[in-house]
Amino acid sequence: MNSPGRIFTYLILLTVQVLLCNYLHLSQYVMVSILPAMVLFSDVRLSGVKVLCLAFVLSFAVDFLSDGVLGLNVLALIPVAFVRDGVIRLVFGEDHFARGEGISLVRQGIWKISAAIIMVQSLFLLIYIWADGAGTRPFWFCALRFAASLAAGGVLSLPVARVLTAEKTPDRW
Amino acid sequence: MLRNSKTTARILSVALFILMEVAALMMLSRSGPLQNIWLSGASYAVRGRIWGASASIGSYFSLSSQNRALAQENFELHRELTRYRNAMNAALQDSLAAGEGLSRDFEYIPAAIRKLSRNSQHNYIILNKGSEDGIRPQSGIITPKGVVGIVDAVDRHYSYGISFMNTGMSVSARIGASGAVGPMTWDGHSTDRAVLKEISLQNRFAPGDTVYSSGYSSIFPADIPLGIAGGSRIVNGAVNEIEVFLFQDFAALRYVTVVQTLDREEILFLEELETEGKDKTENR
Repeated sequence: MNSPGRIFTYLILLTVQVLLCNYLHLSQYVMVSILPAMVLFSDVRLSGVKVLCLAFVLSFAVDFLSDGVLGLNVLALIPVAFVRDGVIRLVFGEDHFARGEGISLVRQGIWKISAAIIMVQSLFLLIYIWADGAGTRPFWFCALRFAASLAAGGVLSLPVARVLTAEKTPDRW
Repeated sequence: MLRNSKTTARILSVALFILMEVAALMMLSRSGPLQNIWLSGASYAVRGRIWGASASIGSYFSLSSQNRALAQENFELHRELTRYRNAMNAALQDSLAAGEGLSRDFEYIPAAIRKLSRNSQHNYIILNKGSEDGIRPQSGIITPKGVVGIVDAVDRHYSYGISFMNTGMSVSARIGASGAVGPMTWDGHSTDRAVLKEISLQNRFAPGDTVYSSGYSSIFPADIPLGIAGGSRIVNGAVNEIEVFLFQDFAALRYVTVVQTLDREEILFLEELETEGKDKTENR
């Protein structure tokens, strides 16, 4: 995907996330977020600093445009950006960066992609639910919320992964 | 070279990560009231531990002077106890009831100061004793030389109090031979001066008279010596305002006593009854 196309895709996904935050209130136990997947499947050639900046901009925009507490998504998403390279190395292999290849749903397979999504979603949700509850929610409420949100977010992140990891179709002769 | 640039990029990433997380916490603290309380609590706990450590170091290096002060205080207490015992014996011999109101209604808990702010208009005090030591909110904080403040909030191991050096706090005080009572407040700038207000013009007093706590509250016992009266002025042609030189200099404060009345529940119950009675009368 070329650069303007990728920026446009991110803007569309950001709009989807804002709409999810503002209009999709399934239950107090479910918090759907595709932000971790958006950070995870950003271009692997981006440096750590650039990924942190991307995460900050995305999460701040969502916080600002939705009716939640300002700073909550930022607090949860920045650690995801910080560990992104580590997760890619762990799940997709050490030599992935050396080859400079983008992540692909077709090449890496749905199981590896799902494992990576679950890792970043879990980290994001742990921080988000912990900070959102501010020590006032009981453990079982937080655990249930974590499980339900992980399931919903994980499922919704798969189409996001498909969009962001789509490979350029070779030109036909 | 490549290794160096990688290390620099890594350090930059970590620094940016910390910066962004701090920014997120600040945003969270300002925009969410629940998160604000939560983060403030965590911050107080950390600061309490840091102050505790620094105060312990400070205390260690001033142990000899503390010992001298404690020995002096011990001596004064023994002398006072002997005086009370003599008075009690004399009273018993005369078959008169004696000993009533000698602070038997109060419980005393010694505590050390972990933090005492002195440079704002709303100063506060943090003590090293908390709910596990039996301290409750709305208890008085005193020293043998006067009133220090009121406990406002209690944690398990620490208490947060409003200092007497706070423009919002007043103590009911008594002065002179006439025993006139009025509210005494901090003068707003010095660490050893206060102002006794609302003393009627007909009440007699003189510079040098001792000012005591009146005991007209459920927080402080009566007759704690607070200071010595200085000059006075007439306010609005109706009442006197008297300068008080406090015995307790807040700049040299380290150990205090938390005092709490044992009959507080009964007093509060009576006050509630009185309030309810007034409400019913007004409704009629």
